[in-house]
Amino acid sequence: MTSPHTHHMRQALQLARYALDHNETPVACIFVHEPSDTVIAYGMNDTNKAHTGIAHAEFMGIAQIQRQFGAENVVRVFSETVLYVTVEPCVMCASALKQLGIRRVYFGCGNERFGGNGTVLSINSDKSTVSPNDNATYLSIPGLYRREAIMLLRYFYVRENDHAPNPRTKKDRRLDRETFPPIDWSMYISRQTFGREFGVENLRLYDTNADVPSARVPVDSTPSSAPGDIDWELIAGPCDDILELLDAERKGAQINLSHKKPKTVVASD
Amino acid sequence: MVKIKANPLNIDFKRCTVENKLQQIRNSKVATVPEIINVWTIDIEPKESKAVLDFIRLETQKTDPLSLIHIKRIRKSMDTNKRITLHVALCSTQLFHNKEDILSKLEKYSTKFQYTNLCCTNKIPMEAAPTKELMEKWSEEYWPLVWRGNPNNQILNDYTFDFPFIEEIIKKISKLSVEEQEKGNKMPVVSAFVDPLDATNVIYATDSRHMAGALPLDHSILNGINTVAEKLTLRKSENPSVEDDGYLCLNFDVYTTHEPCSMCAMALIHSRIKRCIFVKEMKNTGALRPDSGDGYCMHSNRLLNSKYEVFQWIGEDYGTSVVNDLECC
Repeated sequence: MTSPHTHHMRQALQLARYALDHNETPVACIFVHEPSDTVIAYGMNDTNKAHTGIAHAEFMGIAQIQRQFGAENVVRVFSETVLYVTVEPCVMCASALKQLGIRRVYFGCGNERFGGNGTVLSINSDKSTVSPNDNATYLSIPGLYRREAIMLLRYFYVRENDHAPNPRTKKDRRLDRETFPPIDWSMYISRQTFGREFGVENLRLYDTNADVPSARVPVDSTPSSAPGDIDWELIAGPCDDILELLDAERKGAQINLSHKKPKTVVASD
Repeated sequence: MVKIKANPLNIDFKRCTVENKLQQIRNSKVATVPEIINVWTIDIEPKESKAVLDFIRLETQKTDPLSLIHIKRIRKSMDTNKRITLHVALCSTQLFHNKEDILSKLEKYSTKFQYTNLCCTNKIPMEAAPTKELMEKWSEEYWPLVWRGNPNNQILNDYTFDFPFIEEIIKKISKLSVEEQEKGNKMPVVSAFVDPLDATNVIYATDSRHMAGALPLDHSILNGINTVAEKLTLRKSENPSVEDDGYLCLNFDVYTTHEPCSMCAMALIHSRIKRCIFVKEMKNTGALRPDSGDGYCMHSNRLLNSKYEVFQWIGEDYGTSVVNDLECC
């Protein structure tokens, strides 16, 4: 059995791979209406083409939701929506997600420079960033396919260095497929939350700052790989049909918003 | 850069105000532990010091990406036979990453001075200490430092201001803010974006979150950034053959009536602005003042490696509208 978490993070990674193939930063996200387990939007980084530093993947997804369901419904949709994103949202996106009242976030690897869900700041649980609905704070759970998300970023930086005016030494440029920094789970979630999300039998991973093996996210799927394994098939090949697949799913999305003004919101474009 | 005494501006270095109109906003938590960097050092006999200082002056000082004016170049040590050795800091390891590179520089001077023990294990504080006491403490712990006064005094002194222009923009956004309120906008927040290369075409942006079809994220700063991007995209597509240096909001000055929230304060970092001046603080939701909200000081947070200058307008009040203090601006 595949869990929705596994499935959606895999979609996000394929989309990040698509972005990489189109010369963008390999960061991508999928917005899922949780009660119906439906993809309602996706996003990729678009800072190069749009000439703005704020065209992050999350904002592209937010714009899709706005177009699809109408601006007046966005906050209600968000109250039941979960985000899967390959890299931790930056401070700006973490704040935007909170100001729209996102239900929960899952991410792959941390964002060392700008992370707003625990690495640099914890906007998701702060006081000063105001949420419009009952989700006053949101949980943001790291570590799903973390190594795959890191590898995609490494592909990008290796490639980018080739274009740099002063390429660094060859040693720096070599693609590292072996070593991964430890993940300090306690920066993001409590031990209790980890146990609930990944299974209490895996708590030793929390205690030792170790990765959750990708094939065992979540625990109910077949534990076929040892810690440290990477699902190369997921990130190594091109994935040209991912946009079509996601578009088909989100445009067909019909979701029932379960509280306040209960009515079916039908996709409009 | 003028000498502090010669600066025609009225700067209050204690209160950190300029002309009693702008209040500098910075992280008030004094860093008691410095950020550390490594330097290349050599050991020499005292008679070689002049030649080595010449080497520094000619070969490293001007090209070093890090300014080392806050350290003493030479540290003295004496052995049991009262023989003096001088340890000299040549440059940061950011200037030369590899030993071979610095060796080849030193090679050229092999006839001028003798040295031993070239290494990069000595650590120094990256920036000057904020107080004299800390300077003395850090000198003990790391490497001898020089006291040149509170480093923020120099920072304040080096800022440049066009006060008539600043005041005109503040007046304008305050007036627009009042007009927005009169039109019924519940969030009468207004921002102005000034491109240093095109300062006559100021871009004004309002908060539109309560308009039909808008999102709760449509704050004036995000709207302004998007307008700048649209103009830039249009300009580049209309003149594809012209070399256009336009890049995000690089070096822009951004004026805004209300202290930005965490989202907008970070969006300004991503946009690479130079300076933000706001009028009214948002004590619950602001992300710039150390005593606002969660005290993020987003523009001078050490962990977010980009930085911009921030000032609060404390000059004449031109009637900026009041907004609900539980809203993010």
